[in-house]
Amino acid sequence: MTLATHLDPTTVARAELALGGLRELAPSLSFATIVTEDGFSVASIDGNALNNDRFASMASSTQALADAVARELSLGESEFIVVAADRGHVVHVRVTGYPLVLAALFADKEAIGTSLNAARRTARRLAVLLTAK
Amino acid sequence: MAEHVVLFAGPMGAGKTTAIRALSEIEVVSTEAANSDRAAADKATTTVALDYGEISVSAAEKVRLYGVPGQKRFDFMWTILAERAEGVMLLVNADAANPVETALEFVTDFRALYERGGIVIGLTRADLVPDALIEEYSDALADALPEVLIPVFTVDARSESDMTELLMTLVANVELKQAVTEQSALFAGRTR
Repeated sequence: MTLATHLDPTTVARAELALGGLRELAPSLSFATIVTEDGFSVASIDGNALNNDRFASMASSTQALADAVARELSLGESEFIVVAADRGHVVHVRVTGYPLVLAALFADKEAIGTSLNAARRTARRLAVLLTAK
Repeated sequence: MAEHVVLFAGPMGAGKTTAIRALSEIEVVSTEAANSDRAAADKATTTVALDYGEISVSAAEKVRLYGVPGQKRFDFMWTILAERAEGVMLLVNADAANPVETALEFVTDFRALYERGGIVIGLTRADLVPDALIEEYSDALADALPEVLIPVFTVDARSESDMTELLMTLVANVELKQAVTEQSALFAGRTR
């Protein structure tokens, strides 16, 4: 039987490596995780403050709902999701070519563009790492 | 237009998405993702947010069908979708490990919805288990939760007629409970 993505040591190591640079790109980062499409956390950083498994499950559901909306409206593939709230924001970005999503929580309200840019760069970096033999 | 909301709950692989597709008059909105937990259920995809379908009971009455993810880790979706629901179609795959215990766990999880509406249980894949007796489930429910009354059927989740029968049973139970509640309130008012 094939090893589940979130249990595969190579994928976990590469996900951790990719996440490692995210804080430098976006200093207001509170928490970030790479999740499988069905809600299992592959790797995460700075997750002590919240329930990592719950965050991963919510990221999976939110991503799937956004995909369903994009599909129903014939908009094509959803690229990213932003949930902006009073005390912070959450960004989801798909890892192109893999059934994985980067979900990150940021503690400020203002720098959504910076966060989105950082999350996209990190997701692209992970895709490159996963492509390598 | 009067609208009713019914949830389809139960463990992964019980046939919730299939049942909604069998019943719905519109194309079902699904949120399926690649399933990485093949040990829990050997199927390619799994619902991670909701399934959505609709049936018209009459020109003035519509039933909205919501399927919730089967895995406990998505229980926040159960809470969100249960808020507007009037009843639960609980599907349990009879050929899974510990199906009776699983049925009891889900009834307990959706107990609040039972109290204000109703629950019916549909045992799927029962033909694959020679000793999948409805009485076993009824007895276990009576032992663990003697105050609840939940009908149990064997069903084929792919069958529109099976799922319609289960849905109509749920509707009848919800209406009966509402009628009894109204009668009780009326009786209480008269005896004051």
